[in-house]
Amino acid sequence: MRRALRDFFLFFLRDLRIAATYRSPFVFEIIQALLGATMLYYVARFVDSPELREALPQGRSYFTYSLVGFIFFDYLNEAMDTFDRSLLEARDTRTLEPLLVSQIPLSLILAGSAMYPFVATTMRIAVYIAWGAILFGFPLGSANWLSVVVVLLATLLAFSALGILSAAHLLLFKRGNPLKWMILGLSSVIGGMLFPVDILPHWLQIIAKVNPVTYALDAMRRALLDGTSVVGVGRPLLVLVGFGVVALPTSIAVFTWALRRTKITGTLTHS
Amino acid sequence: MEVQPGEAVALLGANGAGKTTLLRILATLLVPTKGHALLAGHDTEKEPAAVRKSLGYHAGSDLGFYARLSGRENLRFFGRLNHLQGADLEGKIQKFAKRFGLEGVIDRQVRTLSSGTVQRLSLLRAILHEPTVLLLDEPTRSLDAIAAAEFRHFLKSEVLAQRRASVLFASHTLPEIEFLADRVAILHDGKILAIDSPAALQKAYGCGSLEEVFLRVTGRNVSFSEEAHPA
Repeated sequence: MRRALRDFFLFFLRDLRIAATYRSPFVFEIIQALLGATMLYYVARFVDSPELREALPQGRSYFTYSLVGFIFFDYLNEAMDTFDRSLLEARDTRTLEPLLVSQIPLSLILAGSAMYPFVATTMRIAVYIAWGAILFGFPLGSANWLSVVVVLLATLLAFSALGILSAAHLLLFKRGNPLKWMILGLSSVIGGMLFPVDILPHWLQIIAKVNPVTYALDAMRRALLDGTSVVGVGRPLLVLVGFGVVALPTSIAVFTWALRRTKITGTLTHS
Repeated sequence: MEVQPGEAVALLGANGAGKTTLLRILATLLVPTKGHALLAGHDTEKEPAAVRKSLGYHAGSDLGFYARLSGRENLRFFGRLNHLQGADLEGKIQKFAKRFGLEGVIDRQVRTLSSGTVQRLSLLRAILHEPTVLLLDEPTRSLDAIAAAEFRHFLKSEVLAQRRASVLFASHTLPEIEFLADRVAILHDGKILAIDSPAALQKAYGCGSLEEVFLRVTGRNVSFSEEAHPA
Protein backbone atom coordinates (compact mmCIF):
# COMPACT_ATOMS: atom_id res chain seq x y z
CA MET A 1 0.00 0.00 0.00
CA ARG A 2 2.82 2.37 0.95
CA ARG A 3 4.70 1.49 -2.21
CA ALA A 4 1.55 2.00 -4.31
CA LEU A 5 1.07 5.43 -2.78
CA ARG A 6 4.70 6.33 -3.38
CA ASP A 7 4.48 5.14 -7.00
CA PHE A 8 1.25 7.09 -7.41
CA PHE A 9 2.95 10.32 -6.31
CA LEU A 10 5.86 9.70 -8.68
CA PHE A 11 3.62 10.64 -11.57
CA PHE A 12 2.41 13.76 -9.80
CA LEU A 13 6.00 14.88 -9.16
CA ARG A 14 6.95 14.13 -12.77
CA ASP A 15 4.13 16.30 -14.10
CA LEU A 16 4.79 19.03 -11.55
CA ARG A 17 8.45 19.17 -12.61
CA ILE A 18 7.50 19.32 -16.28
CA ALA A 19 4.90 22.02 -15.59
CA ALA A 20 7.46 24.02 -13.61
CA THR A 21 9.63 24.29 -16.72
CA TYR A 22 6.84 26.39 -18.26
CA ARG A 23 6.42 29.45 -16.07
CA SER A 24 3.99 31.65 -17.93
CA PRO A 25 0.97 29.29 -18.15
CA PHE A 26 0.39 29.64 -14.38
CA VAL A 27 0.08 33.39 -14.83
CA PHE A 28 -2.20 32.96 -17.83
CA GLU A 29 -4.45 30.61 -15.86
CA ILE A 30 -4.87 33.17 -13.08
CA ILE A 31 -5.76 35.84 -15.63
CA GLN A 32 -8.07 33.41 -17.47
CA ALA A 33 -9.90 32.65 -14.20
CA LEU A 34 -10.30 36.36 -13.51
CA LEU A 35 -11.73 36.96 -16.97
CA GLY A 36 -14.06 33.93 -16.64
CA ALA A 37 -15.39 35.06 -13.26
CA THR A 38 -15.81 38.63 -14.53
CA MET A 39 -17.70 37.48 -17.61
CA LEU A 40 -20.08 35.37 -15.51
CA TYR A 41 -20.62 38.25 -13.09
CA TYR A 42 -21.68 40.67 -15.81
CA VAL A 43 -23.84 38.12 -17.59
CA ALA A 44 -25.51 37.48 -14.20
CA ARG A 45 -26.00 41.21 -13.62
CA PHE A 46 -27.55 41.52 -17.05
CA VAL A 47 -30.08 38.70 -16.57
CA ASP A 48 -30.61 38.87 -12.78
CA SER A 49 -34.12 39.66 -11.55
CA PRO A 50 -36.25 38.80 -8.49
CA GLU A 51 -38.19 36.28 -10.62
CA LEU A 52 -34.98 34.56 -11.68
CA ARG A 53 -33.71 34.37 -8.10
CA GLU A 54 -36.97 32.78 -7.08
CA ALA A 55 -36.69 30.23 -9.85
CA LEU A 56 -33.17 29.14 -8.89
CA PRO A 57 -33.12 26.27 -6.39
CA GLN A 58 -30.06 27.17 -4.33
CA GLY A 59 -28.66 30.24 -6.00
CA ARG A 60 -28.81 33.37 -3.98
CA SER A 61 -27.97 35.06 -7.24
CA TYR A 62 -27.54 33.92 -10.79
CA PHE A 63 -23.80 34.66 -10.47
CA THR A 64 -23.26 32.08 -7.70
CA TYR A 65 -25.50 29.58 -9.49
CA SER A 66 -23.70 29.88 -12.81
CA LEU A 67 -20.20 30.03 -11.28
CA VAL A 68 -20.75 26.68 -9.52
CA GLY A 69 -22.08 25.22 -12.78
CA PHE A 70 -19.13 26.59 -14.68
CA ILE A 71 -16.43 25.27 -12.33
CA PHE A 72 -18.18 21.94 -11.99
CA PHE A 73 -18.01 21.46 -15.73
CA ASP A 74 -14.31 22.24 -15.61
CA TYR A 75 -13.95 19.21 -13.31
CA LEU A 76 -16.20 17.07 -15.43
CA ASN A 77 -14.23 17.97 -18.51
CA GLU A 78 -10.97 17.14 -16.73
CA ALA A 79 -12.26 13.78 -15.49
CA MET A 80 -13.31 12.81 -19.00
CA ASP A 81 -10.30 14.26 -20.78
CA THR A 82 -7.33 13.52 -18.58
CA PHE A 83 -6.83 9.84 -19.36
CA ASP A 84 -6.77 10.06 -23.13
CA ARG A 85 -4.67 13.22 -22.91
CA SER A 86 -2.13 11.36 -20.74
CA LEU A 87 -2.16 8.51 -23.21
CA LEU A 88 -1.67 10.88 -26.14
CA GLU A 89 1.22 12.60 -24.37
CA ALA A 90 2.86 9.26 -23.59
CA ARG A 91 2.44 8.26 -27.23
CA ASP A 92 3.79 11.55 -28.55
CA THR A 93 6.77 11.62 -26.18
CA ARG A 94 7.28 7.90 -26.92
CA THR A 95 7.33 7.16 -23.21
CA LEU A 96 4.39 4.75 -23.39
CA GLU A 97 6.60 1.71 -23.98
CA PRO A 98 9.16 2.52 -21.27
CA LEU A 99 6.25 3.01 -18.88
CA LEU A 100 4.61 -0.26 -19.87
CA VAL A 101 7.80 -2.32 -19.41
CA SER A 102 8.37 -0.88 -15.93
CA GLN A 103 7.27 -2.65 -12.77
CA ILE A 104 4.33 -0.32 -12.15
CA PRO A 105 0.88 -1.78 -12.87
CA LEU A 106 -1.15 -0.13 -15.59
CA SER A 107 -3.92 0.91 -13.20
CA LEU A 108 -1.38 2.89 -11.18
CA ILE A 109 0.08 4.49 -14.31
CA LEU A 110 -3.42 5.61 -15.30
CA ALA A 111 -4.38 6.87 -11.86
CA GLY A 112 -1.01 8.50 -11.24
CA SER A 113 -1.05 10.30 -14.57
CA ALA A 114 -4.46 11.75 -13.72
CA MET A 115 -3.37 13.19 -10.40
CA TYR A 116 -1.57 16.32 -11.52
CA PRO A 117 -4.31 17.42 -13.96
CA PHE A 118 -6.90 17.04 -11.18
CA VAL A 119 -4.79 19.01 -8.73
CA ALA A 120 -4.13 21.67 -11.37
CA THR A 121 -7.87 21.89 -12.09
CA THR A 122 -8.58 22.22 -8.37
CA MET A 123 -6.09 25.08 -8.17
CA ARG A 124 -7.64 26.76 -11.19
CA ILE A 125 -11.10 26.41 -9.66
CA ALA A 126 -9.85 27.75 -6.34
CA VAL A 127 -8.61 30.80 -8.23
CA TYR A 128 -12.03 31.15 -9.93
CA ILE A 129 -13.78 31.01 -6.57
CA ALA A 130 -11.26 33.36 -4.99
CA TRP A 131 -11.83 35.96 -7.71
CA GLY A 132 -15.57 35.46 -7.33
CA ALA A 133 -15.37 35.95 -3.56
CA ILE A 134 -12.94 38.88 -3.59
CA LEU A 135 -14.48 40.89 -6.40
CA PHE A 136 -18.09 39.79 -6.76
CA GLY A 137 -19.30 38.58 -3.36
CA PHE A 138 -19.37 34.82 -3.92
CA PRO A 139 -20.59 33.49 -0.51
CA LEU A 140 -17.62 31.42 0.61
CA GLY A 141 -18.74 31.42 4.23
CA SER A 142 -21.87 29.36 3.58
CA ALA A 143 -20.08 26.29 2.18
CA ASN A 144 -19.76 22.98 3.96
CA TRP A 145 -16.24 22.14 2.79
CA LEU A 146 -16.33 18.54 3.94
CA SER A 147 -19.41 17.96 1.81
CA VAL A 148 -17.77 19.81 -1.09
CA VAL A 149 -14.71 17.53 -0.95
CA VAL A 150 -16.82 14.36 -0.65
CA VAL A 151 -19.04 15.37 -3.57
CA LEU A 152 -15.99 16.26 -5.62
CA LEU A 153 -14.31 12.91 -4.96
CA ALA A 154 -17.50 11.03 -5.79
CA THR A 155 -17.81 13.05 -8.99
CA LEU A 156 -14.23 12.28 -10.00
CA LEU A 157 -14.71 8.60 -9.20
CA ALA A 158 -17.88 8.40 -11.26
CA PHE A 159 -16.78 10.38 -14.28
CA SER A 160 -13.22 9.10 -14.45
CA ALA A 161 -14.82 5.88 -15.67
CA LEU A 162 -16.03 7.73 -18.76
CA GLY A 163 -12.53 9.16 -19.18
CA ILE A 164 -10.98 5.69 -19.04
CA LEU A 165 -13.51 4.44 -21.60
CA SER A 166 -12.51 7.35 -23.78
CA ALA A 167 -8.85 6.36 -23.43
CA ALA A 168 -9.77 2.80 -24.46
CA HIS A 169 -11.44 4.25 -27.55
CA LEU A 170 -8.27 6.20 -28.31
CA LEU A 171 -6.15 3.06 -27.97
CA LEU A 172 -8.34 1.13 -30.37
CA PHE A 173 -9.24 3.74 -32.96
CA LYS A 174 -6.38 6.25 -32.53
CA ARG A 175 -8.84 9.11 -32.41
CA GLY A 176 -10.57 10.98 -29.57
CA ASN A 177 -13.90 9.64 -28.50
CA PRO A 178 -16.77 11.64 -30.07
CA LEU A 179 -19.11 10.19 -27.44
CA LYS A 180 -17.19 12.11 -24.77
CA TRP A 181 -17.99 15.44 -26.41
CA MET A 182 -21.59 14.38 -26.86
CA ILE A 183 -21.91 13.52 -23.15
CA LEU A 184 -20.31 16.82 -22.16
CA GLY A 185 -22.47 18.79 -24.58
CA LEU A 186 -25.64 16.99 -23.56
CA SER A 187 -24.83 17.42 -19.88
CA SER A 188 -24.30 21.14 -20.31
CA VAL A 189 -27.88 21.33 -21.63
CA ILE A 190 -29.67 18.83 -19.40
CA GLY A 191 -27.29 18.69 -16.41
CA GLY A 192 -28.24 22.06 -14.95
CA MET A 193 -24.99 23.86 -15.71
CA LEU A 194 -26.37 27.35 -16.34
CA PHE A 195 -30.11 26.91 -15.72
CA PRO A 196 -32.27 24.59 -13.62
CA VAL A 197 -33.51 21.44 -15.33
CA ASP A 198 -37.07 22.27 -14.17
CA ILE A 199 -37.45 24.72 -17.03
CA LEU A 200 -36.76 22.01 -19.63
CA PRO A 201 -39.56 20.18 -21.50
CA HIS A 202 -40.88 17.18 -19.60
CA TRP A 203 -39.17 14.58 -21.79
CA LEU A 204 -35.78 16.27 -21.33
CA GLN A 205 -36.34 16.36 -17.58
CA ILE A 206 -36.77 12.58 -17.66
CA ILE A 207 -33.39 12.25 -19.41
CA ALA A 208 -31.88 14.69 -16.90
CA LYS A 209 -33.09 12.46 -14.05
CA VAL A 210 -31.10 9.50 -15.33
CA ASN A 211 -28.03 11.63 -15.99
CA PRO A 212 -25.54 11.40 -13.07
CA VAL A 213 -24.26 14.89 -13.93
CA THR A 214 -27.57 16.35 -12.71
CA TYR A 215 -27.11 14.68 -9.32
CA ALA A 216 -23.46 15.69 -9.03
CA LEU A 217 -24.20 19.31 -9.80
CA ASP A 218 -27.19 19.39 -7.46
CA ALA A 219 -25.07 17.96 -4.63
CA MET A 220 -22.23 20.38 -5.36
CA ARG A 221 -24.54 23.42 -5.27
CA ARG A 222 -26.15 22.26 -2.05
CA ALA A 223 -22.76 21.70 -0.39
CA LEU A 224 -21.19 24.89 -1.67
CA LEU A 225 -24.07 27.35 -1.54
CA ASP A 226 -26.39 25.97 1.16
CA GLY A 227 -23.75 24.39 3.40
CA THR A 228 -25.60 21.06 3.33
CA SER A 229 -23.89 18.27 5.28
CA VAL A 230 -22.67 14.98 3.80
CA VAL A 231 -25.81 13.28 5.12
CA GLY A 232 -27.92 15.99 3.54
CA VAL A 233 -26.49 15.26 0.10
CA GLY A 234 -26.75 11.52 0.74
CA ARG A 235 -29.18 10.73 -2.08
CA PRO A 236 -27.28 12.35 -4.96
CA LEU A 237 -24.05 11.00 -3.44
CA LEU A 238 -25.45 7.48 -3.46
CA VAL A 239 -26.40 7.84 -7.13
CA LEU A 240 -22.87 9.04 -7.95
CA VAL A 241 -21.12 6.34 -5.95
CA GLY A 242 -23.44 3.69 -7.41
CA PHE A 243 -22.64 4.90 -10.90
CA GLY A 244 -18.92 4.87 -10.11
CA VAL A 245 -18.96 1.42 -8.54
CA VAL A 246 -20.47 -0.04 -11.71
CA ALA A 247 -18.74 2.16 -14.28
CA LEU A 248 -15.18 2.24 -12.93
CA PRO A 249 -14.42 -1.51 -12.90
CA THR A 250 -16.21 -1.82 -16.24
CA SER A 251 -14.09 0.94 -17.77
CA ILE A 252 -10.85 -0.59 -16.41
CA ALA A 253 -11.86 -3.98 -17.84
CA VAL A 254 -12.61 -2.39 -21.23
CA PHE A 255 -9.31 -0.48 -21.16
CA THR A 256 -7.37 -3.66 -20.27
CA TRP A 257 -9.11 -5.46 -23.13
CA ALA A 258 -8.33 -2.60 -25.53
CA LEU A 259 -4.69 -2.64 -24.46
CA ARG A 260 -4.50 -6.37 -25.07
CA ARG A 261 -6.07 -5.90 -28.53
CA THR A 262 -3.39 -3.36 -29.44
CA LYS A 263 -0.73 -5.74 -28.16
CA ILE A 264 -2.10 -8.45 -30.44
CA THR A 265 -2.43 -6.18 -33.47
CA GLY A 266 0.88 -4.42 -32.76
CA THR A 267 -0.71 -0.97 -32.88
CA LEU A 268 0.05 0.14 -29.33
CA THR A 269 2.26 3.06 -30.30
CA HIS A 270 0.60 3.85 -33.63
CA SER A 271 -0.98 7.25 -34.05
CA MET B 1 15.32 -21.10 -28.39
CA GLU B 2 16.72 -20.36 -24.93
CA VAL B 3 19.18 -17.82 -23.61
CA GLN B 4 21.20 -18.91 -20.60
CA PRO B 5 22.53 -16.71 -17.78
CA GLY B 6 25.75 -15.04 -18.88
CA GLU B 7 24.96 -15.74 -22.54
CA ALA B 8 24.43 -13.23 -25.35
CA VAL B 9 22.32 -14.26 -28.32
CA ALA B 10 22.11 -12.04 -31.38
CA LEU B 11 19.09 -11.78 -33.64
CA LEU B 12 20.18 -11.32 -37.22
CA GLY B 13 17.76 -10.74 -40.05
CA ALA B 14 16.71 -8.40 -42.81
CA ASN B 15 14.28 -5.57 -42.11
CA GLY B 16 10.88 -7.07 -41.30
CA ALA B 17 12.30 -10.49 -40.39
CA GLY B 18 10.76 -10.32 -36.92
CA LYS B 19 13.66 -9.31 -34.66
CA THR B 20 11.91 -6.35 -33.06
CA THR B 21 8.64 -8.26 -32.87
CA LEU B 22 10.35 -11.05 -30.93
CA LEU B 23 11.95 -8.56 -28.54
CA ARG B 24 8.65 -6.76 -28.05
CA ILE B 25 6.86 -10.03 -27.30
CA LEU B 26 9.47 -10.81 -24.65
CA ALA B 27 9.12 -7.28 -23.27
CA THR B 28 5.34 -7.89 -22.87
CA LEU B 29 4.55 -5.14 -25.38
CA LEU B 30 3.08 -7.60 -27.86
CA VAL B 31 1.05 -10.76 -27.43
CA PRO B 32 2.19 -13.66 -29.60
CA THR B 33 -0.38 -14.80 -32.16
CA LYS B 34 0.93 -18.37 -31.82
CA GLY B 35 3.06 -20.22 -29.27
CA HIS B 36 4.39 -18.72 -26.08
CA ALA B 37 7.49 -17.08 -24.66
CA LEU B 38 9.00 -17.33 -21.21
CA LEU B 39 11.29 -14.80 -19.61
CA ALA B 40 13.01 -15.67 -16.32
CA GLY B 41 10.63 -18.66 -16.17
CA HIS B 42 7.46 -16.57 -16.52
CA ASP B 43 5.01 -16.59 -19.39
CA THR B 44 5.08 -13.18 -21.07
CA GLU B 45 1.37 -13.29 -21.78
CA LYS B 46 0.06 -14.77 -18.53
CA GLU B 47 2.51 -13.28 -16.02
CA PRO B 48 3.65 -9.97 -17.50
CA ALA B 49 4.20 -8.35 -14.09
CA ALA B 50 6.59 -11.14 -13.03
CA VAL B 51 8.37 -10.90 -16.39
CA ARG B 52 8.93 -7.15 -16.00
CA LYS B 53 10.67 -7.66 -12.65
CA SER B 54 13.60 -9.29 -14.42
CA LEU B 55 13.56 -7.20 -17.55
CA GLY B 56 15.66 -4.39 -18.96
CA TYR B 57 14.51 -3.20 -22.38
CA HIS B 58 16.04 -0.81 -24.86
CA ALA B 59 13.84 -0.03 -27.86
CA GLY B 60 15.54 0.57 -31.15
CA SER B 61 13.79 3.74 -32.19
CA ASP B 62 11.20 4.78 -29.58
CA LEU B 63 13.64 5.95 -26.92
CA GLY B 64 10.99 7.87 -24.98
CA PHE B 65 12.14 10.49 -22.51
CA TYR B 66 10.49 13.59 -21.09
CA ALA B 67 12.16 16.25 -23.18
CA ARG B 68 11.79 19.08 -20.65
CA LEU B 69 13.28 17.08 -17.78
CA SER B 70 17.00 16.52 -17.40
CA GLY B 71 18.62 13.18 -18.07
CA ARG B 72 19.05 12.67 -14.33
CA GLU B 73 15.39 13.50 -13.58
CA ASN B 74 14.29 11.06 -16.27
CA LEU B 75 16.53 8.33 -14.88
CA ARG B 76 15.28 8.99 -11.36
CA PHE B 77 11.68 8.68 -12.54
CA PHE B 78 12.19 5.46 -14.48
CA GLY B 79 14.49 4.06 -11.79
CA ARG B 80 11.77 4.59 -9.20
CA LEU B 81 9.27 2.88 -11.49
CA ASN B 82 11.57 -0.13 -11.17
CA HIS B 83 11.60 0.20 -7.39
CA LEU B 84 15.01 1.79 -6.98
CA GLN B 85 15.18 4.61 -4.48
CA GLY B 86 17.29 6.83 -2.30
CA ALA B 87 21.03 6.49 -2.16
CA ASP B 88 20.94 3.24 -4.11
CA LEU B 89 19.25 4.95 -7.06
CA GLU B 90 21.47 8.04 -6.94
CA GLY B 91 24.59 5.90 -6.65
CA LYS B 92 23.63 3.79 -9.64
CA ILE B 93 22.82 6.82 -11.77
CA GLN B 94 26.18 8.32 -10.87
CA LYS B 95 28.09 5.10 -11.47
CA PHE B 96 26.55 4.32 -14.84
CA ALA B 97 26.59 7.95 -16.01
CA LYS B 98 30.34 7.93 -15.44
CA ARG B 99 30.70 4.55 -17.16
CA PHE B 100 28.67 5.77 -20.17
CA GLY B 101 30.43 9.14 -20.43
CA LEU B 102 27.27 11.06 -19.54
CA GLU B 103 28.57 12.94 -16.51
CA GLY B 104 28.84 16.27 -18.27
CA VAL B 105 25.38 16.21 -19.85
CA ILE B 106 23.17 14.30 -17.46
CA ASP B 107 21.80 17.45 -15.83
CA ARG B 108 20.80 19.02 -19.12
CA GLN B 109 17.24 18.86 -20.44
CA VAL B 110 16.87 15.87 -22.74
CA ARG B 111 15.61 18.10 -25.56
CA THR B 112 19.07 19.67 -25.75
CA LEU B 113 20.92 16.35 -26.10
CA SER B 114 22.16 14.74 -29.33
CA SER B 115 20.54 11.54 -30.60
CA GLY B 116 23.64 9.55 -29.65
CA THR B 117 23.53 10.88 -26.09
CA VAL B 118 19.82 10.07 -25.80
CA GLN B 119 20.66 6.58 -27.05
CA ARG B 120 23.24 6.19 -24.27
CA LEU B 121 20.68 7.49 -21.78
CA SER B 122 18.22 4.86 -22.98
CA LEU B 123 20.82 2.10 -22.62
CA LEU B 124 21.58 3.38 -19.12
CA ARG B 125 17.88 3.28 -18.27
CA ALA B 126 17.66 -0.33 -19.44
CA ILE B 127 20.48 -1.49 -17.15
CA LEU B 128 19.92 0.92 -14.23
CA HIS B 129 18.04 -1.58 -12.06
CA GLU B 130 20.51 -4.32 -13.02
CA PRO B 131 17.99 -6.71 -14.57
CA THR B 132 18.80 -10.36 -15.07
CA VAL B 133 17.55 -10.28 -18.66
CA LEU B 134 18.45 -7.54 -21.12
CA LEU B 135 16.61 -7.07 -24.40
CA LEU B 136 18.38 -4.64 -26.70
CA ASP B 137 17.09 -3.59 -30.08
CA GLU B 138 19.97 -2.22 -32.14
CA PRO B 139 21.81 -0.97 -29.05
CA THR B 140 24.56 0.92 -30.86
CA ARG B 141 22.44 2.31 -33.70
CA SER B 142 23.10 6.05 -33.17
CA LEU B 143 26.34 5.78 -31.25
CA ASP B 144 29.68 6.96 -32.58
CA ALA B 145 32.40 4.33 -33.03
CA ILE B 146 34.03 5.00 -29.66
CA ALA B 147 30.80 5.00 -27.65
CA ALA B 148 29.66 1.84 -29.45
CA ALA B 149 32.94 0.05 -28.67
CA GLU B 150 32.79 1.14 -25.04
CA PHE B 151 29.24 -0.11 -24.69
CA ARG B 152 30.09 -3.47 -26.24
CA HIS B 153 33.00 -3.88 -23.81
CA PHE B 154 30.76 -2.88 -20.91
CA LEU B 155 28.20 -5.49 -21.92
CA LYS B 156 30.78 -8.19 -22.31
CA SER B 157 32.82 -7.57 -19.18
CA GLU B 158 30.24 -6.34 -16.68
CA VAL B 159 26.78 -7.44 -17.74
CA LEU B 160 27.64 -10.85 -19.17
CA ALA B 161 30.83 -11.94 -17.40
CA GLN B 162 30.36 -10.36 -13.96
CA ARG B 163 26.61 -10.16 -13.46
CA ARG B 164 25.79 -13.23 -15.59
CA ALA B 165 22.74 -11.55 -17.12
CA SER B 166 21.10 -13.01 -20.22
CA VAL B 167 21.30 -10.70 -23.22
CA LEU B 168 19.20 -10.97 -26.36
CA PHE B 169 19.95 -8.29 -28.90
CA ALA B 170 19.08 -7.40 -32.46
CA SER B 171 21.73 -5.90 -34.65
CA HIS B 172 22.67 -5.34 -38.27
CA THR B 173 26.32 -4.77 -37.38
CA LEU B 174 28.12 -8.04 -38.04
CA PRO B 175 31.39 -7.18 -36.21
CA GLU B 176 29.25 -6.31 -33.18
CA ILE B 177 27.50 -9.66 -33.36
CA GLU B 178 30.81 -11.51 -33.78
CA PHE B 179 32.27 -9.66 -30.79
CA LEU B 180 29.33 -10.05 -28.42
CA ALA B 181 27.23 -13.04 -29.36
CA ASP B 182 27.78 -16.51 -28.04
CA ARG B 183 25.12 -17.61 -30.49
CA VAL B 184 23.39 -16.06 -33.48
CA ALA B 185 19.77 -16.68 -34.46
CA ILE B 186 19.13 -15.97 -38.13
CA LEU B 187 15.54 -14.87 -38.68
CA HIS B 188 13.58 -14.72 -41.89
CA ASP B 189 9.83 -14.10 -42.25
CA GLY B 190 9.25 -14.57 -38.52
CA LYS B 191 11.06 -17.92 -38.36
CA ILE B 192 14.41 -18.87 -36.92
CA LEU B 193 16.25 -20.55 -39.79
CA ALA B 194 19.49 -21.25 -37.96
CA ILE B 195 20.91 -20.77 -34.49
CA ASP B 196 24.44 -21.50 -33.29
CA SER B 197 27.73 -19.84 -32.48
CA PRO B 198 29.20 -17.72 -35.30
CA ALA B 199 32.06 -20.19 -35.76
CA ALA B 200 29.76 -23.22 -35.78
CA LEU B 201 27.46 -21.57 -38.33
CA GLN B 202 30.38 -20.77 -40.63
CA LYS B 203 31.57 -24.34 -40.36
CA ALA B 204 28.13 -25.85 -40.89
CA TYR B 205 27.45 -23.79 -44.01
CA GLY B 206 31.02 -23.88 -45.32
CA CYS B 207 31.31 -20.10 -45.33
CA GLY B 208 34.22 -17.79 -44.62
CA SER B 209 32.19 -15.12 -42.82
CA LEU B 210 28.97 -14.56 -40.90
CA GLU B 211 27.77 -12.34 -43.73
CA GLU B 212 28.06 -15.25 -46.17
CA VAL B 213 26.20 -17.51 -43.74
CA PHE B 214 23.40 -14.98 -43.43
CA LEU B 215 23.06 -14.60 -47.21
CA ARG B 216 23.13 -18.35 -47.77
CA VAL B 217 20.65 -19.20 -44.99
CA THR B 218 18.17 -16.53 -46.08
CA GLY B 219 18.64 -17.39 -49.79
CA ARG B 220 19.78 -13.90 -50.70
CA ASN B 221 22.10 -13.10 -53.57
CA VAL B 222 24.04 -9.90 -53.61
CA SER B 223 25.41 -8.86 -56.96
CA PHE B 224 27.23 -5.68 -57.84
CA SER B 225 27.22 -4.10 -61.29
CA GLU B 226 30.39 -2.71 -62.84
CA GLU B 227 28.85 0.79 -62.84
CA ALA B 228 28.36 0.70 -59.12
CA HIS B 229 32.04 -0.10 -58.58
CA PRO B 230 34.05 1.89 -61.08
CA ALA B 231 37.72 0.99 -61.23
